[in-house]
Amino acid sequence: MADRLSADFVVVGSGIIGSLAARKLALAGASVIILEAGPRVTLAELVARFRNSPRRSDWMSPYPSVPWAPHPIYQPEPNNHIVQAGAYPYAAEYIRQVGGTSWHWAAHAWRNLPNDFRIKSLYGVGVDWPFGYDDLEPFYQEAEEIMGVSGADNTGSPRQKPFPMEPVAEPYAMRRLRERLAPEYEVVSNTTARNSRPYDGRPACCGNNSCQPICPINAQYHGGLSADAAEAAGARLIANANVYKLEHDEKGNITAALYYDPDRASHRVTGKTFVVAANGIESPRLLLLSTSDKFPNGLANSSDMVGRNLMDHPSTSLTFDADEDVWLGRGPQSPSSINVMRDGPFRSEHAPYRLDFTNISRVDGATRALIAAGVYGSELGKRLRYSAAREMNVKNVLEVLPDPERRITLSSEKDEMGIPKPEARYSIDDYTRKGHERSQQDFQRIANLMGGSNLRFSKEGEFANNQHICGTLSMGNDPRTSVCDQWGRAHDHENLFLAGTAVLPTSSTCNSTENGLAVALRSVAHVLEQQGASTSATGISKS
Amino acid sequence: MSRAVSGLFGRIAVALALAATAYGVTSPVLAADAELIARGEYIATASDCIACHTAPGGAAMAGGLALSTPIGAIMATNITPSKQNGIGNYTLKQFDAAVRKGVRADGKLLYPAMPYTAYALLSDDDVAALYAYFMNGVAPVETRPPETKLPFPFDIRLSMAGWNLLFLDKRPFDPDPAHDTDWNRGAYLVRGPAHCGTCHTPRNLFMGEQASSQMAGGDVGPWYAPNITSDPNSGIGGWSVEELVAYMRDGHVAKSQAAGPMAEAIDNSLRFMTEPDLKAMAVYLKTVPPVRDPADTQPVFAWGRPSDDLASIRGAAWPQDRDQMNGPQLYDAYCASCHQVQGQGSFEGGLPSLVHNTALGRQNTNNLVMVILNGLHRQPDVLMPGFARELSDTQVATLGSYLIQNFGNPAAKVTAAQVATLRAGGSTSTWPVWAARVGLAVAVLVLIGLIALLLRWRGNRRLATQH
Repeated sequence: MADRLSADFVVVGSGIIGSLAARKLALAGASVIILEAGPRVTLAELVARFRNSPRRSDWMSPYPSVPWAPHPIYQPEPNNHIVQAGAYPYAAEYIRQVGGTSWHWAAHAWRNLPNDFRIKSLYGVGVDWPFGYDDLEPFYQEAEEIMGVSGADNTGSPRQKPFPMEPVAEPYAMRRLRERLAPEYEVVSNTTARNSRPYDGRPACCGNNSCQPICPINAQYHGGLSADAAEAAGARLIANANVYKLEHDEKGNITAALYYDPDRASHRVTGKTFVVAANGIESPRLLLLSTSDKFPNGLANSSDMVGRNLMDHPSTSLTFDADEDVWLGRGPQSPSSINVMRDGPFRSEHAPYRLDFTNISRVDGATRALIAAGVYGSELGKRLRYSAAREMNVKNVLEVLPDPERRITLSSEKDEMGIPKPEARYSIDDYTRKGHERSQQDFQRIANLMGGSNLRFSKEGEFANNQHICGTLSMGNDPRTSVCDQWGRAHDHENLFLAGTAVLPTSSTCNSTENGLAVALRSVAHVLEQQGASTSATGISKS
Repeated sequence: MSRAVSGLFGRIAVALALAATAYGVTSPVLAADAELIARGEYIATASDCIACHTAPGGAAMAGGLALSTPIGAIMATNITPSKQNGIGNYTLKQFDAAVRKGVRADGKLLYPAMPYTAYALLSDDDVAALYAYFMNGVAPVETRPPETKLPFPFDIRLSMAGWNLLFLDKRPFDPDPAHDTDWNRGAYLVRGPAHCGTCHTPRNLFMGEQASSQMAGGDVGPWYAPNITSDPNSGIGGWSVEELVAYMRDGHVAKSQAAGPMAEAIDNSLRFMTEPDLKAMAVYLKTVPPVRDPADTQPVFAWGRPSDDLASIRGAAWPQDRDQMNGPQLYDAYCASCHQVQGQGSFEGGLPSLVHNTALGRQNTNNLVMVILNGLHRQPDVLMPGFARELSDTQVATLGSYLIQNFGNPAAKVTAAQVATLRAGGSTSTWPVWAARVGLAVAVLVLIGLIALLLRWRGNRRLATQH
């Protein structure tokens, strides 16, 4: 092969975290190869796919699964990429393409609360993180300045420096919520990576209200921009490179990543240090696939903790009709929330939660519901207008505790590339369920304050998933109960680093991306600091 | 020396003397009063000195920006009061010679990339104020940009003497008693400090401004500085004074948005000018003799109507060969999210309408192409992203053609070859260089001829005296 595929750092996964870790390494002068299983897709093509889709509310419709790097699809028919083997289905969604899953997100970029790092010590549940809020604070800031984050100052996460920008203008519906729920509830701007002004060459949000599945103008930060930034910094990104195995030497150091191209030809990429950042399901899957005589249970897995402690944020919700026209759909999809139930002594008893208001246009959903109910003609127009103007929705975002029995393993079923599929064992426990029950009071009260009628609670026992996959490669100080140390270094392998939301030891009540990104930036800073001391040993060539 | 200038020099001299007596030093910092400095700063802003004399991200007025011209890159100099690297040693007289006559302190001639032909109209008082500002209001910066190195014969700065003979009118602005104060103030600003004609007046073979076509539109690298004569179709005759003022102040009105070099002129200069001065400029511009492109059969801001062809593309996948994408597909993917489905923009005007927009109504479509490629960036917070990376030349041509067909003047054209040229930074043709060389060679010959005549005349006089 003409190409000599070798680098100081080999990063598996080009999502927001893998790419920004790669960028930081490349900016420090290291040679970096990023291997991405999925294809490159441009923003414009995603916009076209979305607008051409007959399923506008299916946020995966612009992101079809490709045979050489399949990911979960549920509509119109499930492709069963994740084999379900647990008490409760774990219907995770993620995207395997250059830039990863944050191509479609609501851009929530929350910091944990300081107490989220110590829930075992404070409340006797879950685990403590191997470091505290203050250790992570500068890296939160770094992440926020890269992404262009704004938010309210009063959400319980202290900051040393201000947000890089002001929040996007408050949509009218959110203003009415804030006004009518005060003083009982304080409704505040969400902390989001969405431009309220031109930032880093990207325009301000102009309210297309399609953040999910795709912000059509890059006002919202996403992993595709991270991948571009990594390449601009000098990293080499190889798309359509589905890594199926990591190799090691006799000392247990990782030596190479093997990947399949779309024709299933195998390629080998060598490197000095490896970073696995392939998301909370594909990362443990890769480590479990990488078995050898020396590591029969896969890499980083002497503790048998790889894939365990799977967490996400289940949600239940209430939909109601307000007593005034609020017209959801102007501005971003998810602008405001209530943060009072994210922390407190109650955490020893039940899950904390954030209360989140949707601002997604009701037109598509209401039209479908009315047509399904057989409404037509002028009555359809009249009722559609009413629903589009009046309908509101509030949901909880519930913490899930780490539990080794909730886990990702390898299935006996294989995907299109002949690679064993991931298998999920998931459950909703009493802790989370009690949090849901507690939140019903808030739902009811919020509806009352908005003069709500036609209250539709989500079906009892059904929890929507938020695709905040975390925990499956937990970091911790004890190698018997965690996969990697506080720097993301695998306990079992000197030159294997794990990055992404999988390393988060607990899920807290906030979307996992910013936490995963800040932790990864902290890991990279540590690696660079260590290797900077002995450049020859690491091969970091100063540019 | 005219009375005005001698009076001015006298005043400065007195001030210096007083300061020297009072403080025992001769620093002009103490001599020049704050009011004079502030006035000088305003003139410097109106003259947009910073635009050329500051490198991107560099210290203000420290030079280092390479101005690309058809004859090569001309390096803007350090005009901070640094004594080593800037103009700190310039006397008022030397400063005046540089600004209004294009002559450096060492006697060498400036290249007319420095718009001294416009600054020649500056009043003596404004030059003095400008001097006070540069000496006292600008921080000295101790860096020296590289020297300008042009190809022969332009490396001989004396060659500019011939050019100056042809194109430099050294008389300051002379108010026209037939017009009122507003008009005269506007004429002074437009033709003098703001040097609008530097870009907006077409250039002749010798790269001099065509006196007969003032403000009729000219090329600025890959951009086009449009016709701003009073012609209602090709120029700004159909704009109200209020619209012109709003455009110069804000950079946008419904019918037009500034981009490229004009955006810079507004960001650095025009938006800081006083409302009365902007109004005076608008009043004057509306009287500039009309020049019309006969192809402009209606005002360039009056073309197009809201429309869309999106139904024709729904449900169809993109062609494998992206160069085969059609106009509606490109518009839907790259434009419609902000400019809206029918090109109508947002209701409050924050996202511009493409309909009735000068960018789409002109015969010259360079600015349309440049904005598609590079976007639009204005301070403090206007940004349209560019698509140079995403779109091929063919795609830009398809999109541009679609835009002018639907929202603009259908007689205009956008071609892939044009896009390629503009993407590369403008015309790569060598004819302007050769034309300029020939032109300058002629000018040099004229100069030599004049010098010879002068010498003969002096010789004759000497002979006459001896006799």
